[in-house]
Amino acid sequence: MLAIETGRLSKQFGKRLVVDGIDLRVPSAQVYGFLGPNGAGKTTTIRMLLGLIRPDEGKVHLFGDVLAEHRLALLKRVGALVEMPSLYPHLTGRENLEVTRRLIGAPAGAIARVLDIVALAKDAHRLVREYSLGMRQRLGLALALLNQPELLILDEPTNGLDPAGIHEMRDLIRRLPVEFGITVFLSSHLLGEVEQIAGNIGIIHAGRLLFQGPLAELRARQEKRLLIGVSSPEEAARCLEAANRTVNLRDDGTLTIAGASQADAVDVNRLLVNQGFDVFQLTLSQITLEDIFLGLTKNAETERSDS
Amino acid sequence: MTTLLRALHAESLKLKRTLAFRMVFIAPLLVALLQFFMGLNQRRAAQPGFNLWETIFNASLVIWAIFMLPLLITLETALLAGIEHGEKQWKHLLALPIPRSAVYASKFMIALALTLLSTLTLFGLSLLNGYALIKLRPELASSAPPEFLKWLFVVLKLWTASWLIIAIHTWIGIRWSSLTLALGAGVAGTFFALFAASARIGKFYPWLLPMNSLNLIEGEPRDTLALLIGGLGGVVAFGLGCLEFTRRDSDEPETSMSRRFLLAVGAAGIALAILGVAMQSAKSDPAPPKPSSVTPADSRPGS
Ligand SMILES: Nc1ncnc2c1ncn2[C@@H]1O[C@H](COP(=O)(O)OP(=O)(O)O)[C@@H](O)[C@H]1O
Ligand SMILES: [Mg+2]
Repeated sequence: MLAIETGRLSKQFGKRLVVDGIDLRVPSAQVYGFLGPNGAGKTTTIRMLLGLIRPDEGKVHLFGDVLAEHRLALLKRVGALVEMPSLYPHLTGRENLEVTRRLIGAPAGAIARVLDIVALAKDAHRLVREYSLGMRQRLGLALALLNQPELLILDEPTNGLDPAGIHEMRDLIRRLPVEFGITVFLSSHLLGEVEQIAGNIGIIHAGRLLFQGPLAELRARQEKRLLIGVSSPEEAARCLEAANRTVNLRDDGTLTIAGASQADAVDVNRLLVNQGFDVFQLTLSQITLEDIFLGLTKNAETERSDS
Repeated sequence: MTTLLRALHAESLKLKRTLAFRMVFIAPLLVALLQFFMGLNQRRAAQPGFNLWETIFNASLVIWAIFMLPLLITLETALLAGIEHGEKQWKHLLALPIPRSAVYASKFMIALALTLLSTLTLFGLSLLNGYALIKLRPELASSAPPEFLKWLFVVLKLWTASWLIIAIHTWIGIRWSSLTLALGAGVAGTFFALFAASARIGKFYPWLLPMNSLNLIEGEPRDTLALLIGGLGGVVAFGLGCLEFTRRDSDEPETSMSRRFLLAVGAAGIALAILGVAMQSAKSDPAPPKPSSVTPADSRPGS
């Protein structure tokens, strides 16, 4: 059964279509990575999944039921952490949990259980005002786990954390489906964050879902990539684009062309040399997932500006 | 119902270490202290018919009704809502499996409870004041003993008449995240009460209702109307606010008032002012109203 399913989900703010006909299919008991650059519409989508805002079009189904019709019953089975955790800084960690525990009527033992999962038991007596960003994030996760959810919706839970914090959070999230059978819907703007833990992913850009499916399927798309080291790379890129090639100029000054073959390499080299560029590197290699992700969103960008 | 009780239980924990909770006791303490020093210097004590308790209660309750309670309500509702605005707690609260109406109702009820507690504290402190003054100035001891129940009833009426402003301010505080805006609305409402007091509109003006409940104008009891508009009106205003909150397509408060909303409030204010002046001049005498009673808002449509 699908934990989340949406049909043509859309949301408009003023005249701007921020989420544009999204069909999510999120299978149970695994991590689903919801990827997209900043401003792609991830948080807006998540707000609709939680009933915080109403879709202009389309429906949200959780565990097979329509959210709009069974909101409270369905939310009982969902835990969420949207953007930065919402904590009361003047209360201790334990008191913060107690506020939500009272609201949802969870048993008293629930607090010790979630503190244990996120390893915050020994800091629970401290005021949240004194917490580090990583501790706040873990407390936010603990709040989301209080009602023993079947589905956990996490919106960029590692945003702003240092590498150690990111690592901690990732390990924690990875454990949830395995140990507790929880479905995790995890949004991020970095593929690297979810690559190692997600079974399925969806890629959203400018409100549209560009790809959805098993990560393995995306991996299968991995083609060869041509890496070019050349003098005056910006001009060289323009020259190649004039010859109808999609070129990516990287920060280190090298150019890449996705989906290239040996014949392409020969072609590109000839073209550049004939135009008077000095080519000092030409490598044909396997491209990374990050490249596919960037490629997908970049293509969508150019399509949008063309239309 | 149990959801509401649970929400109130949660709400009470949030008050820990807050200014909102301390103000509940600070506000009546200020009034009581003022009363105490005025009592020490009371010169009418020797006059026949002097009633110590009458003097103490009337003086504190007038200060409380006209100014301290409305400002306390402004501050409390703003602080209570502010607890949720600070880290966008709404997105967490509203994604919990509890009805939005319970979230809103618990905010209104906790404001009711805190203002009741504060008003009862004033009641207690006023009694304490009386006994302390009798100890310090034995000549006051000749006064009759305090009519405990009568004053308790007066105090409860006063509080009930304030429900309408509590409901209005609960809505304002939750709807807009700006503290300045919430405080500004309360100060403006309390300030205009000074003008409204002498006008006929004063009978209905929300910020004057606690004052009206005290029946201080000779031969013109206003307490029934004050309880009706303040108490029942408060319940209705709460219902409307709650309805607006549950229907809102957002989990975030507005940051400032939209121009359309300001225009609507302005238009309603001008209409009320014109109505008030028209009613007054029609009632009192056929002569045109004195220029001094015309506020700038009224003169605008005519010019
Ligand atoms: N309440 C709102 N009103 C108007 N625009 C909004 C609102 N919320 C988000 N947006 C806009 O919608 C776009 C998508 O935002 P968001 O869903 O937060 O993206 P993401 O979470 O992927 O970074 C952004 O351009 C943002 O400015
Ligand atoms: Mg976001």
